[in-house]
Amino acid sequence: MLEVSSLNKVYRSGAREVEALRDLTFTVDSGELVCLVGPSGCGKTTLLRCIAGLLEPSAGKVRLDGREVSGPPPGLAMVFQEYGRSLFPWMSVRDNVELPLKQRKIARHRRTTLVQDALDAVGLTGTESAYPWQLSGGMQQRVAIARAIAYEPSTLLMDEPFAAVDAQTRADLEDLVRALWQRLEVTVLFITHDIDEAVYLGQRVVMLSSSPTVVQDEITVDLPPARDQLHTRADPRFTELRTHVYEQIQAAKRGAGASS
Amino acid sequence: MKRVAYVLGLPVVLFAAWYLLSAGSESFYAPPLSKILESFGKTWTLDRLTADVVPSLLRLGAGYLLAAVIGVALGITIGLNRWVRATLEPVLEFFRAVPPPVLVPVIMLFAGIGDGMKVIVIVFGCVWPVLLNTVEGVRAVDSVQIDTARAYGISGPARIGRVILPAASPQIAAGLRQALSIAIILMVISEMFAASNGLGFTIVQFQRSFAIPEMWSGIILLGLLGFGLSLLFRLAEGRALRWYHGLRAAQRRS
Repeated sequence: MLEVSSLNKVYRSGAREVEALRDLTFTVDSGELVCLVGPSGCGKTTLLRCIAGLLEPSAGKVRLDGREVSGPPPGLAMVFQEYGRSLFPWMSVRDNVELPLKQRKIARHRRTTLVQDALDAVGLTGTESAYPWQLSGGMQQRVAIARAIAYEPSTLLMDEPFAAVDAQTRADLEDLVRALWQRLEVTVLFITHDIDEAVYLGQRVVMLSSSPTVVQDEITVDLPPARDQLHTRADPRFTELRTHVYEQIQAAKRGAGASS
Repeated sequence: MKRVAYVLGLPVVLFAAWYLLSAGSESFYAPPLSKILESFGKTWTLDRLTADVVPSLLRLGAGYLLAAVIGVALGITIGLNRWVRATLEPVLEFFRAVPPPVLVPVIMLFAGIGDGMKVIVIVFGCVWPVLLNTVEGVRAVDSVQIDTARAYGISGPARIGRVILPAASPQIAAGLRQALSIAIILMVISEMFAASNGLGFTIVQFQRSFAIPEMWSGIILLGLLGFGLSLLFRLAEGRALRWYHGLRAAQRRS
């Protein structure tokens, strides 16, 4: 379970102060898949780095599984947007997935199983000894996902993971995320700027305002749990939900325009 | 085949030109190449190679390796720590600007004229390109790679050994390549100042005793040695940085 309460972040450089996050409160229950959407420049990256323990908030708290986050929490795995920069190009696919496990001092045979299972789960069997840069963008992001699930996290944090891949690959990867989430019963917080993607993937969608960020609105996606690209996206309810989210994001942008 | 032709083409032409142009030379100081080559075979016998070339190479190897270890270790410390960097950078720039050969007499004063002096001279000259390139390489490590390491709990020695060092390795290799040519120069210079054996010493001996063809043969041997070492370096680098060259090629294609 992930709890974000009254989170605030102000960047200071000299006399200048920029308030990136004003007051953010939301929770993601254990085993839930929640999508965060917001207009561009809404402080998503700041929020994410605070949750991952990579950045200290100015005020407020992040709690993961009941424990306050003060550094990178062990139960959290992250998939970055820039897969090309997040995978280590000097290591093979296998070593990339295995490195965090080595650091955890997991026994060798157990590591081998975890790495193999994770690569099988993302459909990358047979690429173990390739370097990441020998693979296509979509496959590289699969490696990053494999690294995250091999880490056996309670919570998976995904930062616009499919922003840089083409539309068809993206649809495949979306289905992969839903399948993995259902199978592994992890908590997933998925950050995106794509409204359709948020509604298609999430059980809930949390909408953020423009910076300084607050929670603009929140909806429960009452679509059936078995989703597929063809029928879910054609569902009238899908259209209603995405219209609602779209309107809220537009309102958030106007709100920012009015206040500035 | 074509590559070999490109690599060997110009050297062969130059050598042939030297050979032909110097063929009838009467000059005492620029004897015909045929004479130089003849003395090459006579001069650089196995005895002489073990007596003079091996000590030179040992000093070179010791100084170079020491400089590499010191340069990389210090470079990582400085590169990772903003305060240390701000404090040391001006001083480092100053030391780097001092031409290492002028330090030979100074170093001789306290280190004597033995092997220690020569190794110190080589270390002192070689450490700067390694150090400064390592600092640059460490500073330029991608922030996403650092974030990834932190998020996955890769900390301490593992972060340095498995993430920062490999990420900086292309830049470190550039520093090591520069250092290699400096090391060869300093090896010869330190032996020319004060030594009882070594390549630099032998060449100076030949020159002072007017053994001109032998002197030229020593210079040719030195050139060949430098060429061989840089070839070795490139082979080692190509192996160690295979991922980097592959990555670059992949980026160019996309």
